[in-house]
Amino acid sequence: MSNFIALPKGVTEEVFARAIKEYRALLGDDRVRTDPASLQSYMKIMYPESMDLHIPSAAMYPRTVKEIQAILAIANKYKTPLWTVSTGKNFGYGSAAPATRGQIVIDLKTMDKIIHVDEELGYCLVEPGVTYYDIQKYIKKHKMNLMISVPSPSAIVGPVGNSLDRGAGYTPYGDHFLFSCGMEVVMANGDVVRTGMGDVPNATSWQATKWGNGPYVDGIFTQSNYGIVTKMGFWLMKTPPPGGYLPFLMKFPKVEMLPEIIKTIMPLRLSQVIPNACVVVNSLLEAACYCNYDENGKPTSRDSYYRGKGILPPQVIQQIIDKCNIGAWNFYAALYGSREQVALAWKYVSGSFKAKFGNQVEIVTAKEAKDDPNFEFRRQMMMGGRSLQEFTYYNWRGGGGSVWFAPVAAARPSESYKQVKIATEVLNKYGFDYLAEYIVGWREMHHIIDLLYDRNQPEEMERAYKCYDELLKVFARHGYGIYRTNPAFMEKAANTFGPEMRKIHRTLKKALDPNNILAPGKSGINLDIPL
Amino acid sequence: MTNVTRRAFFKTFFSAGAALAVSGGVSQPRQAEAAIKGQIIGVCLYVPSLGKASDFVELMNTNARGDWTVHPLTGSLTDRYFKTKDLYEGARGTANTFVGAVDPGSFAVVHEAIVNSGGSFHYITYEERNRVTFSAQL
Repeated sequence: MSNFIALPKGVTEEVFARAIKEYRALLGDDRVRTDPASLQSYMKIMYPESMDLHIPSAAMYPRTVKEIQAILAIANKYKTPLWTVSTGKNFGYGSAAPATRGQIVIDLKTMDKIIHVDEELGYCLVEPGVTYYDIQKYIKKHKMNLMISVPSPSAIVGPVGNSLDRGAGYTPYGDHFLFSCGMEVVMANGDVVRTGMGDVPNATSWQATKWGNGPYVDGIFTQSNYGIVTKMGFWLMKTPPPGGYLPFLMKFPKVEMLPEIIKTIMPLRLSQVIPNACVVVNSLLEAACYCNYDENGKPTSRDSYYRGKGILPPQVIQQIIDKCNIGAWNFYAALYGSREQVALAWKYVSGSFKAKFGNQVEIVTAKEAKDDPNFEFRRQMMMGGRSLQEFTYYNWRGGGGSVWFAPVAAARPSESYKQVKIATEVLNKYGFDYLAEYIVGWREMHHIIDLLYDRNQPEEMERAYKCYDELLKVFARHGYGIYRTNPAFMEKAANTFGPEMRKIHRTLKKALDPNNILAPGKSGINLDIPL
Repeated sequence: MTNVTRRAFFKTFFSAGAALAVSGGVSQPRQAEAAIKGQIIGVCLYVPSLGKASDFVELMNTNARGDWTVHPLTGSLTDRYFKTKDLYEGARGTANTFVGAVDPGSFAVVHEAIVNSGGSFHYITYEERNRVTFSAQL
């Protein structure tokens, strides 16, 4: 009978016990946990695989860079793999559970210092445990005229983890890694490197410019396992003045209108008349976002509309659209600037859509939306606010299963609709409905498809796995890669990008972490598995 | 009055939560044989669509007698996150049992509220697709 709930691959109980003893000598018993109750929170996964494959062996809570360096020395000595999380959320992209069984979770939520917020130039430098909410509170407390771009779980997640996984938000700074600036990274050998201008002694522009001398290396620490990021800088937007923020919604009645919608959006996006990472949400995802159990008498799940077997029939989808008063597509965006700039931009935007769609588009601003919860959710997201409304999605089908399949499309009208058709066909084949949104970036669209299923039904979970697997294959066959995935599919997703890229990833891993102790399996990078 | 099915569900749920909390047992979803009566100082969260406050109070005192307070989770999910965080942090040092019956959307934020407060769970169980019960460590 083992004293541990899991062991790392290739590490005996005796060796692991010795390693834990050394970790405890370093951090104390309270900050090195192996008991099942303490590890429970790292075992809540939403992707369609057995939790048994992802059980951690321990969790550790360092507070300083020096402690991380000492942890790495012990890890190299005993070959105990370390799975690092910042605030440890990541939901449909993987939660906090390690890619492979037996890794030790390094939970950095105990490193939660806001080191500096610069109001003059609009940036911050924070540790991995800092949440977006912490930064919002700091800005408010110090009465700073700043805002930070947030992803949809907003308050409860942090910018370091989100940006390192190349997450997206909904403001003009919505490409979060793009608007990061400077990292401090502890390498597997214990070296500490500051990227960009950060390694210049007494650096004065670390968060002011992204580029330092020589090759730009920040990217290799994202979606990777080459180091542990312990500080990261982010650019912050100036808050628009009163009257300088105009969120809006446009509803379109037919699914086939998507190419024309994208065709109308992109010139406005490229010219920065619409400056933010805006979204085009399909009917069922929009309907699912209303499924809050607090709204007495209102539909609260998919079952409220349909109790038959299989996918939702088209007529039921139309009933949902009518009942919820939503569009087949729902386009949310916002305008920012002075009151006058926004008023002028609104003429261009509303004029473009009215000219194109006439009475086929319903335009909603805050005035018409009143207290609509979905509009409020989007309004908050596009101004770097906080709202957890998105989690109502989990009431739609129930059962706690959710996996986000996220291919990228070039922002062309034809591509957008092609992806919808491919995704719908595969999802429907496996008995799942199409719930999705496009986040419209600079020249691309992140197609975020929420595959919702019941984790407590083995047959359904297996079907969800097969469905995701086929989505991955079919999209790759059509020339589409995914921008992010969960541990169950990291190896397979890496394969869709071809052998040469995998060789580069592996070469870097061998050079930077030859003992393979940092998060083996992250993004398919694992020296234990031959290519 | 609650019906028999619901009564049985609550009985299992609260007995399990209370017994585990008081005994310090851990982790896997399971049913407990009985509660340890007279030792429970409990906090219970619930979503009103899953039952009335009076149902919860009645059944808790029948099946896991103790000093219970019940708190409905209402409002936006953001409100529920912060309410759970406040209640959980407030329960530390004043209660020994923290349980709940919520929908999956609420559970997503309840889970994070408790974890972000440094908490962990005795068990998490999907009783049905749309009903999650849990017992958190205090």
